[in-house]
Amino acid sequence: MMTSFRVKTACALVMGGGAVFAQHGVAAELTIATVDNRDMLRMRELSEDFVAEHSDIQLNWVTLDESTLRQQVTTDIATSGGRFDIVTIGTYEAPIWAERGWLVPIADMPGDYQPEDLLPTVRQALSYQDVLYAAPFYAESAFTMYRTDLFEDAGLSMPRAPSWDFLAQAAEKLSDSDEHYGICLRGKPGWGENMALLTAMANAFGGRWFDEEWQPQLEGGGWRDALDLYLTLLGEYGPPNPEDNGYNENLALFQQGKCGIWVDATVAASAVTDPEASEVADRVGFALAPDNGLDKRSNWLWAWALAIPSSSEQSEAAKRFVAWATSRGYQELVAEREGWSQVPPGTRAPLYDNPSYREAAPYSELVLESLRSANPDDPTVQAVPYRGVQYVAIPAFQGIGTAVGNRFAKALAGDISAEEAIEDAQWVTEKVTEQARFAQQ
Amino acid sequence: MATSGFDPQQSLDSVDDEQLPVPPHKQHGAKHFLGLYAAEHVAATEFVIGATFVGLGAGIWDILIGLVIGNTLAILSFTLITAPIAVGTRLSLFAYLERIAGNVMAKLYNGANVVIFAAISAAMITVSATAVRVLFDVPPQVAPYPTDMAFVIIAFAVGAIVVLVAAFGFNALSEFASICAPWLMVMFTAGGMVLIPALSESVTGFTTLTSFSDFVAIASASVFTGINADGEPGIGLWEVIGFAWAANTFAHFGLIDMALLRYARKKRYALATSTGMMFGHYVAWISAGLMGAATAATMKLSILVVDPGDVAFYALGMSGFVIVIVAGWTTANSNLYRAGLAAQALMPEVKRWKVTMLVGLGVMGASCFPFVYRSMLPLLTYAGLILVPVGGIAFAEYQLFPRLGMTRYWANFKGLADNRPAIASWGISLIFGFGLNVLDVMPFYYLFLPTWFVSILVYVVLARRAGACEAYPEKEKAQQEFNERVVEHHRRKAAEKYREGVEDKTLLSKGIKVMWGIVGLGVPAVLAWRVMFESPDLYQYYVNRELFYDITIWCTVIYFVFAYWGLQRSKQFKRREPEGTPSQASTG
Repeated sequence: MMTSFRVKTACALVMGGGAVFAQHGVAAELTIATVDNRDMLRMRELSEDFVAEHSDIQLNWVTLDESTLRQQVTTDIATSGGRFDIVTIGTYEAPIWAERGWLVPIADMPGDYQPEDLLPTVRQALSYQDVLYAAPFYAESAFTMYRTDLFEDAGLSMPRAPSWDFLAQAAEKLSDSDEHYGICLRGKPGWGENMALLTAMANAFGGRWFDEEWQPQLEGGGWRDALDLYLTLLGEYGPPNPEDNGYNENLALFQQGKCGIWVDATVAASAVTDPEASEVADRVGFALAPDNGLDKRSNWLWAWALAIPSSSEQSEAAKRFVAWATSRGYQELVAEREGWSQVPPGTRAPLYDNPSYREAAPYSELVLESLRSANPDDPTVQAVPYRGVQYVAIPAFQGIGTAVGNRFAKALAGDISAEEAIEDAQWVTEKVTEQARFAQQ
Repeated sequence: MATSGFDPQQSLDSVDDEQLPVPPHKQHGAKHFLGLYAAEHVAATEFVIGATFVGLGAGIWDILIGLVIGNTLAILSFTLITAPIAVGTRLSLFAYLERIAGNVMAKLYNGANVVIFAAISAAMITVSATAVRVLFDVPPQVAPYPTDMAFVIIAFAVGAIVVLVAAFGFNALSEFASICAPWLMVMFTAGGMVLIPALSESVTGFTTLTSFSDFVAIASASVFTGINADGEPGIGLWEVIGFAWAANTFAHFGLIDMALLRYARKKRYALATSTGMMFGHYVAWISAGLMGAATAATMKLSILVVDPGDVAFYALGMSGFVIVIVAGWTTANSNLYRAGLAAQALMPEVKRWKVTMLVGLGVMGASCFPFVYRSMLPLLTYAGLILVPVGGIAFAEYQLFPRLGMTRYWANFKGLADNRPAIASWGISLIFGFGLNVLDVMPFYYLFLPTWFVSILVYVVLARRAGACEAYPEKEKAQQEFNERVVEHHRRKAAEKYREGVEDKTLLSKGIKVMWGIVGLGVPAVLAWRVMFESPDLYQYYVNRELFYDITIWCTVIYFVFAYWGLQRSKQFKRREPEGTPSQASTG
């Protein structure tokens, strides 16, 4: 398999990318800005293979934390600085930056890139006007993780596609113990923390951030019902001080055997089933994210992706690297070096047909289904003017999402009522969007 | 401003007051200059320069320390170089140049001023237009050139108003501009305070600052990072010092501010420039950098392309539009007015309003290009480089000639229509200064220093050869007599024209001051304090900020209504005051 990948990349060098070398007669030097997470750091290590096979290309890495990366990349791209040839961006930024003309379309990719393999929803999330602007490196959705032993003891059976009502009943039963809590959910305020879950919950309950005229709809029934249930679940069956728990805190609780149910990112699956990290690795079951009978589940969609700024003078060479790092061949390279469980998931359909991967990741079928059903262009029961499942792809959303998250966390802590939190959420969304609309037109 | 040459025999009644030394009854104390310089150096340019330092990649400690040092050097330059000549001659540089260097030099100097002040005016019209374009649904102009015809129309419209006011109604606007300073100072400070929590949240995830070290950490992580726009290490301490010092070289080394400091009763009142340097060029620059960075983070744009209209709107709400339009407009007007005066000196047969309109057309064209205002700091620096040699020549004539046994006003005494050594010295100095720039042997913001010394050296040498070492006792005696006639002339005019004023102690006037002081300025300051220090999370921040926006716009209205009312009452009571110090071109 690996030999095949190397042969193909060598062919790509000769057939496609070789043109760059031929044109300039010198090596192309690519500067890659990337976020400092585990998968990206691994890509950096493995890129030695790429360099070995592409002697005309030299790689310079700029590895930064997420906040600094956003700032530096934004400055470079917005000013056409040309400092970076490849940047790591998320599904939130991709359509915004593409609309501004800051990115090169991911088209006419060299070698065996096989864009038809990409999962349609992931591809769509990284596209603007149906043109792909960032090549997905890994993607995640959300689903339900639960303790099979506790369910069995309680005489419960988790459906493949549970409802929120069922989870509430199950959480109530499971909470009848000092050993563990019935359910764990994100409570820490932040647009990427509690609001990712609450937005996904509201989607399932018929809520939406904005109507088609961009009028905030936080006071609609969907949000109220979702928030009421969320407060009940965490207030009555959740861990103490749930407003302090984000993804990492809940992961630790689940790994310690403290959570009966946890609805969160699919990427957590490998961590809760890792025997070296999880005390309950052999007692974890999976199901789809819950719904509320309205044909929308509380799953979401996020991807980290590689994009090429329009300001790059090495876009052809950059495409060759992007194609390599997001290809099936790269997945196979990771599998060979680190094992199938470490392959960046969520981007290409054939991975989920691979028996080795399915064996290493028994939850993969549910992950695939979750990814496929999280449609960023159709995230809600009612029509919306925006894109994004657990976020709204507009520049002002980070501030809005976090501010609303602050109020919902206050309600969770018992400092304010749910009604007050909803009213505050509506107010702050109106104000911030009004200002953003006025300034940016 | 006219350049008809200096004749000590001429009748004083036919001489423009601008050509005569400032009389004692028109001179001012230190308090006047504290206010004047605060007003002069808190202008729309500050929005641009603050962001420029961010783009150049200055580090936070380089900014905090370098600006103090650079601005202190600027204050010392005003005090040790400009003020002694201004107070000694009581003349503007225009008038002084005419006496020492003749018509051609004065015309060349005026020509340079036309270009420089017109460019500054164009930049400030663009700054105002960035705020107006938001009101008309025109997208931000992130490119160096206009990308939307509507923006061109807006820039032309704003420019047309600026030109018309500069041509026909400058005095009224100048009066209005004089009351803006306290409000601008409060708004610049408040704007930074209002956006710091948002900036903090984008960096740390928290809106609160608990100590100065928190501020330093956030500013160094997100604003003054030490990395420039190209991702390279940015400018350092020496560069920051140089920029701060050089930003007003044409005013101190170039002696333009003789026009202001000639009214100072004592030389040491030039220390009052510290209000402009340490507030406008320190607090306001840093605040503008913070505001720009926070706005860029919110809009998901680079600080280098976020325009002042957006920055001010995010920081101050509707008051932000007012600050950009008012600060940009008043700065543009004073500079265009000055460019018009300089141009008229070149074409004395044409009426001032016509010349101003002519220059204004060029200014309107340039104002369509955002790169002009984004190049403000280099523009000011190069403007200084052009004008500094003239200051060096005047410095040599006034300070060095007596010490070197040479004669002040020698060219005039000798009957030369033109002081060719002065013209040659300026030319040689420019070749030297810009030659160094081309050769790139030193940072361009320090070029003014060697250029200044070269101008002095060359002028001393050339003037010695041309006759500056000779004695002109009869001419000196004629000038002495002229000076005595001037003193008597001023004494007579003071007795005829001015009467003792009545100090305004009425309750109404005190009430007016309380209104604009407490309601107009105090309330926004307190609200900004709440936003910065009482916003434990992003939601509470938005609540506090919205309250600040909503109330501050009304405070702004109250401030301007009552401050203008107070100004008019004050004028009625202070009949003793003459027409006051002429407005100086405000360049930040």
